[in-house]
Amino acid sequence: MTNGPSEAVGIGSSRGRADWRLVMLVVSSVLILAGYALPMFPNRITEAVTRYSLGATRWSSFSVLVTEQHYNQNTAPLNQELDSVAIEVAPVTAHAGSGWAWLAQLLAPRERLGKFFSLVVCLALPVIAALYMLAWAWVLLRGKRDTHEQMIVPGFSLALLTPVCLWLAWQHQFDFSARLLGLASAALAPRAGFYLALLGTLLACATAFSYRRDTHRALFSWWWLVLATALLIWLLTRFRPQPYLEIWNFISDGIVVTLRLVATSFGLIVLVSLLGGLGRISHNRIIYGIASLYVEIVRGIPLLVQLLFIWFALPQVFDGIGDLLLAISPGLEGAAAVFYDLRLNPFTAAVAGFTLCYGAYGAEIFRAGIASIHRGQMEAARSLGMTPLQSMRFVVLPQAIRVILPPIGNEFVALLKDSSLVSVLAVSDLTRRGREYMARTFLSFDTWIMVALCYLVLTLFSSRAVEYIESKMRFER
Amino acid sequence: MASETIARLDEQPIIQIENVRKTFDHGKVGALDGVSLNVYRKEVVVIIGPSGSGKSTLLRCINRLEVPDSGKVTVDGVPLTDAENINKVRMEVGIVFQQFNLFPHLTVIGNLMLAQRVVRKRSKAEAATIALDLLNKVGIPEKAEMYPGQLSGGQQQRVAIARALAMQPEIMLFDEPTSALDPEMIKEVLDVMLQLAEEGMTMVVVSHEMGFARAAANRIVFMDDGQIVEDSPPQMLFECPKEQRTCEFLSKILH
Repeated sequence: MTNGPSEAVGIGSSRGRADWRLVMLVVSSVLILAGYALPMFPNRITEAVTRYSLGATRWSSFSVLVTEQHYNQNTAPLNQELDSVAIEVAPVTAHAGSGWAWLAQLLAPRERLGKFFSLVVCLALPVIAALYMLAWAWVLLRGKRDTHEQMIVPGFSLALLTPVCLWLAWQHQFDFSARLLGLASAALAPRAGFYLALLGTLLACATAFSYRRDTHRALFSWWWLVLATALLIWLLTRFRPQPYLEIWNFISDGIVVTLRLVATSFGLIVLVSLLGGLGRISHNRIIYGIASLYVEIVRGIPLLVQLLFIWFALPQVFDGIGDLLLAISPGLEGAAAVFYDLRLNPFTAAVAGFTLCYGAYGAEIFRAGIASIHRGQMEAARSLGMTPLQSMRFVVLPQAIRVILPPIGNEFVALLKDSSLVSVLAVSDLTRRGREYMARTFLSFDTWIMVALCYLVLTLFSSRAVEYIESKMRFER
Repeated sequence: MASETIARLDEQPIIQIENVRKTFDHGKVGALDGVSLNVYRKEVVVIIGPSGSGKSTLLRCINRLEVPDSGKVTVDGVPLTDAENINKVRMEVGIVFQQFNLFPHLTVIGNLMLAQRVVRKRSKAEAATIALDLLNKVGIPEKAEMYPGQLSGGQQQRVAIARALAMQPEIMLFDEPTSALDPEMIKEVLDVMLQLAEEGMTMVVVSHEMGFARAAANRIVFMDDGQIVEDSPPQMLFECPKEQRTCEFLSKILH
C-alpha cells in the first residue's frame, strides 16, 4: 500500500517538487469535474423576435440553441435592414444548467448531434482533459517514466485547448451571433461552475508546462500557428461582424474555388513534372530535346503573361488554325469548325496555365530528385532482370519521392499563393471575390486583411501537412 | 575440388568472352584491351590485379552493365547484343556489388522479393518462402523485417548475395564483395561465398582475398593494364608465377 508514494520519489529531481506537481494534476482535474457539476450556463434563450426596417417581423422559438435566429439576422427580407432583436430567457431546469446537464441535453436526441457537434466537442474536451490528467497522475504514481514522458506533449496541447473550449462553449449558446450576445450576455452570463472549471484548465496548463524538461520533444508545434490564425479569423467575424462576417460570407465561396483550382492543377502538375523530369534524364536525344525546350521556354516567361496569353490570345490561335485548315482544303470544314468552336472556360484556362508553368519547375525538381539516387540502385535493379521502366517504378522513384517531396511541397504552397493571379481571368477565386467586395463597399483594409488571413491559414496548413507527410516517409539509409 | 583444373575442351563454356575492348571517355581512357576468357560450368574463377587494370569492367561486361566497344560476350550460348537477350541473361546472372546496392526503402525480405515478383512473376507466398529460405542460408533469418540501413555491412552484403540468389541464377558475379567491409565482417561474407562454391555455383569473383582464392578458386586470372597476364590454378600461381608482373603484384599483396 505504501508502495505507490515511495515509487513516486523516482520521478523528478526532488521528492517535494514531484509530489507537488502530482497533487496539482489531481486538483486541476477535480476542479474541472466539480465545475461541470455546478451550474455553468443556467439560462438559455427560448424565444426571439427580429424586427426589420420596413416593419417585417420574424418570430423564432428555441429548444436548445439559437441557430435559426442567427440565420434570420443574416438574411434580412428584401430591401430591409435589421432593426432590433428582442429575446426571452428561461432557466435551464435540469441540474440548474450544469455542464453535465448541457451535455446530456445535447446528446439525448441523436439527430441533433450533427447540428450541435461543435458545442458537444467544446463541452466534452475539458472533461477528456480532466480524465487525461487523472490518468497522468496515476502513471506518475506508478513511476512509469517512459509513459510519463510520452504524455507530456499531448497533455500540454490538450490543456492549452481546454480554456478556449470552455469559452467557446459559452459563446455557442448565442450561435456566434453578435447582436444576440450584446442583448443577452448579461442574462446569460456564466456562473460559478464555469469559472471553477476554467481555473482547473488553467492549472492543468501550468502543471503540464512545468513538466516540459522531462521530454526532448518540442512543447509547441507549429500547428498552433495554424490554429491561432484560424482563431483570429473567427474572432474578427465574431466581434466585428460588421464588416468581417459579411466579408467572410461573401468571399467564402471563393475559397472553395481556389481550393478546387489548386487541387486540379496540382494533380496535373505532378503528372507533367514526372513526364518532364523523365524526359530530362532520357538518353533519347529527341525526348531530351523536347523536354528541355519546354522547361527552358516556359521558365523564361512570367506566369501572369502565360495566363493572359492562354485566356486572351489562344482563341485567336485556334481561329488561325481553323483558317489555315480551310485554306488548305475546303473539305476540312469539319475539322476547322472544331477549332472555331474551341473555347476554354476561365477555370480550364487557369488550370492549363498553371499546369504548363508549374510543370516546368516541377520537371526540374523531379530530374534532380531522380539524379540524386545513386547509380548503383538502377544497376542493381537492372542486374536482377528488371526493365528500365520497372527499375524506375519500383526502385528509383520510391526513393526519389522522399527527396522530391519537400521542394514539391514548396511548389504546392507557391501555387496556392500564385492562384490569386487567376483573378484576371474572370475566375471567382478568393482574390477576385475580395476585389468584388471592395468594389461594392470600398472597405479596402478590412477586405484585404480577411483575404490575406484566409490565404495564410491555407498556406500554413499545407506547409504543416507537407512536413507531417515528410516525417512519415523518412527511413534509415 | 579446388585443385582439379581441367581444360574441358569437349564442353561448351558457359561464359565466352572473345577479344573484348572497352574505352571510357571517348577512347581517352583504355579499360579493356582485347580480353578473351572462357568460364566453364561449376568453375570458380577469381580475378585479381592492380587497381585500374580492368577487372571490374570485365566483370560488368558479362551482364552488360558495361557495353564493350568491340568483341563478343556469350553467356550460356546467348550472345549479349540486344535488349531482348539482356534481360533474359540477367535473370540467369546474379551480381553482388562492392557497395551492396540494397534498396534502402524496402525491408530485407522486400529486397529479396521485389525482383522475384516483378521479373519472375512469382506469387507473394512463393517469393516469401524462397526469400526466407535464402535468409536462413546466409544466416540472418531474424533480420527479415528490418531495413538495410539498420544492418551491419557484413549483414547487408549477405542480404545482397541472397537477393541475387533469389532469382536462382546459373552464374554469380562478385565485384569486390568484401572491399567495403570492416575487417571483422569479411569472414561472414566469405563463408557464404565458400558455401556457394561448394554447392557447385559457377562464380566469377573480383577480389583480393587470397585465402578465399586458395580455398575455392579453380583458376586465378591476373589482369594488368586491360589485359589478362596470367591464368593459372591457384597453386601454380602462388608458387611459381610465369610472369614477372604477377610476381611483383603478389609480393605486394601477400606482404
